[in-house]
Amino acid sequence: MIDFARVQKELQECTKDIEASGIRVTPKSDSLSHLLGTIPGPISTPYEGGTFQIDITLPDGYPFEPPKMQFATKVWHPNISSQSGAICLDILKDQWSPALTLKTALLSVQALLSAPQPDDPQDAVVAQQYLRDYQTFAGTARYWTETFAKTSSLGVEEKVQKLMEMGFPEAQVRSSLEAVGWDENLALEKLCSG
Amino acid sequence: MTVIFIFILEILILVGYRLSVPSNYRLPFDSNLLCQSESPNFMFPSLHRHFFSLLRFPSQFFSTFFSSTFSTTLSMAEYQMLDDVDADDIPHAFLCCVCLDLLHKPIVLSCGHISCFWCVHKSMNGFRESHCPICRRPYYHFPTICEILHQLIVKIYPTAYKRREAQILEEEKKIGYFSPQFDSLACGSQAGMKVEHLEDSANGELNTNTKNGDAIAELILEENSDVVSSTSVVSLNSLQDPCAQKTQKQEKISVADVLCQACTQLLFRPVVINCGHVFCESCINSQVETLECQVCQSLQPRGFPNVCLELDQFLKEQFPEEYSIRRDSVQLEQANSIKHDNPTSCSIEEGKKGQYLPRWGDVASKVHSAVGCDSCGMFPLIGDRYKCKDCLEEVGFDLCGDCYNTRSKRPGRFNQQHRPEHRFHLVHPPMFRNMRLGVVTEMLEEGSTTFIIANGEGSDSSDNIGAILEFSSDARESDEDDSDVDGRTQINSSDDRTDQNYSEPS
Repeated sequence: MIDFARVQKELQECTKDIEASGIRVTPKSDSLSHLLGTIPGPISTPYEGGTFQIDITLPDGYPFEPPKMQFATKVWHPNISSQSGAICLDILKDQWSPALTLKTALLSVQALLSAPQPDDPQDAVVAQQYLRDYQTFAGTARYWTETFAKTSSLGVEEKVQKLMEMGFPEAQVRSSLEAVGWDENLALEKLCSG
Repeated sequence: MTVIFIFILEILILVGYRLSVPSNYRLPFDSNLLCQSESPNFMFPSLHRHFFSLLRFPSQFFSTFFSSTFSTTLSMAEYQMLDDVDADDIPHAFLCCVCLDLLHKPIVLSCGHISCFWCVHKSMNGFRESHCPICRRPYYHFPTICEILHQLIVKIYPTAYKRREAQILEEEKKIGYFSPQFDSLACGSQAGMKVEHLEDSANGELNTNTKNGDAIAELILEENSDVVSSTSVVSLNSLQDPCAQKTQKQEKISVADVLCQACTQLLFRPVVINCGHVFCESCINSQVETLECQVCQSLQPRGFPNVCLELDQFLKEQFPEEYSIRRDSVQLEQANSIKHDNPTSCSIEEGKKGQYLPRWGDVASKVHSAVGCDSCGMFPLIGDRYKCKDCLEEVGFDLCGDCYNTRSKRPGRFNQQHRPEHRFHLVHPPMFRNMRLGVVTEMLEEGSTTFIIANGEGSDSSDNIGAILEFSSDARESDEDDSDVDGRTQINSSDDRTDQNYSEPS
């Protein structure tokens, strides 16, 4: 079983200095074992201005086993799979320590965004591009940030998430949101009225 | 191709074994330990229930929605209030870095970092050396709980400690393993310590800086020669100490609670050794090859421990005057002494014991995975393992060859009711597992895969997978049918084998 008391403490701690760090962790479901982390793209990198969402699944052994983290937002980065969002980071694998928290792990992921390690790639294509033609790489990364990680697209997902948490099926939520012009209150009214 | 397949298979078995190994010293990844009964629901109420009730019973919707929302926020507020009290009161020094809560039965690792008993135990690796959660310094022994620190925390945060105690007891009941029943032990040793303390002061070794503490201890002993209760310390302390009226904290703890067990003065740059006893850094002889505890005579494995900086900082803030006097006197002493060596905290030289720890993956070495020595704390236990036949606790009682031969009388690391007259029997680790561990380590270290075939374990038939698995479970049970040795005389014959594995210390 996961040490939920610790997870709750971590969430509170994270909420406290959200202003300073910009890192947000919210539970995806009631169980607290599935969480959603949000990190801002580091300044003066191709990821600047983007907001990246990371799926967090806590294993049973947490905090003695590392949390499983995966980018939910598409990212163009040598150490992050452009297909699956898998992250290649030592502290999420064998270098994990129980003294690390979700917040520190997310900070490390944010640091990884600003300091790619193309010699130890997760996505070979991106890594090759990074090494051979940095300008193209930066351009692609910036384009992906604009397309997938800007707040507008995030807002939609958040709204869908919120309505789904109220117990409505995803397809229905999406269609009603679309019908009312992405206004979540109107969509809720529409969903409730049937 | 076959070789790769076998390699993957080996790893799978290893991982599977790691999760399923029957432990009598508990596996670090036993998930049950982490069990928390608190439901997180109150924090994140699922709203859909209310919306469905709106659809079905519109009249009831608002009452249920608001009442339950109200109760939810109330419980959340209560929880937060409780938590805020804790968070505000407990300084960073007394928060465990693993569970992020008040330290419970604190253990100080050789690097000087503090964690709870269970947090240290759960973060240890049952197969090879463990690493400090904070600084990743490797360590091989599960240290004993630090009594002084434990008593300090109990005194400063009685309510928070009670909550922790109840919470941990609940968890312990679930898993069936219990941490040492520490309070009775601690009381006894504290009283004992104070008796020694009185003797010292009677000998005329009274130092000006500890006069206050000495006087208190003396008074207590005059008034109450039996067990020194903390309440009498509190009342007397508040009478004696003029500064005691400042805050509640200062009323509760006195210099007498944080004395070095060697010089019986206020701890200055405290060092906690493997047996849980605390000394000033300057009171530990850094010149000896193996550090021996001046209280319990147990040997410190693998070099000298670092200063516990968190405790040092606490003492500095809590007793500024006494601390500065101690600092001056220690510095004077050091200046006067002929040797001008570096402080011990920097030396990570290997102790005597550490020198003949065999290589972890060595096929010939006997690694008892997920089993620890109850005397010195070696975890996993390497070499000869003596298992107590008379301890009935689920956690069991084991000694390593060295501790068995030195007839260690120390209590178990858990709450075993082990007695000196109990009988032991020698337990061999299953050879197969160690060969496999050896294979994997060899391959990882040398990058060669031919080793498997050399071992004769490599096979491409899938039938053999089952055979291997079966064998490994058989090997696990071989603990039971090992030669039972009733007396020590018979064991001596098997000691020869120990010597073969343990090279003589140079």
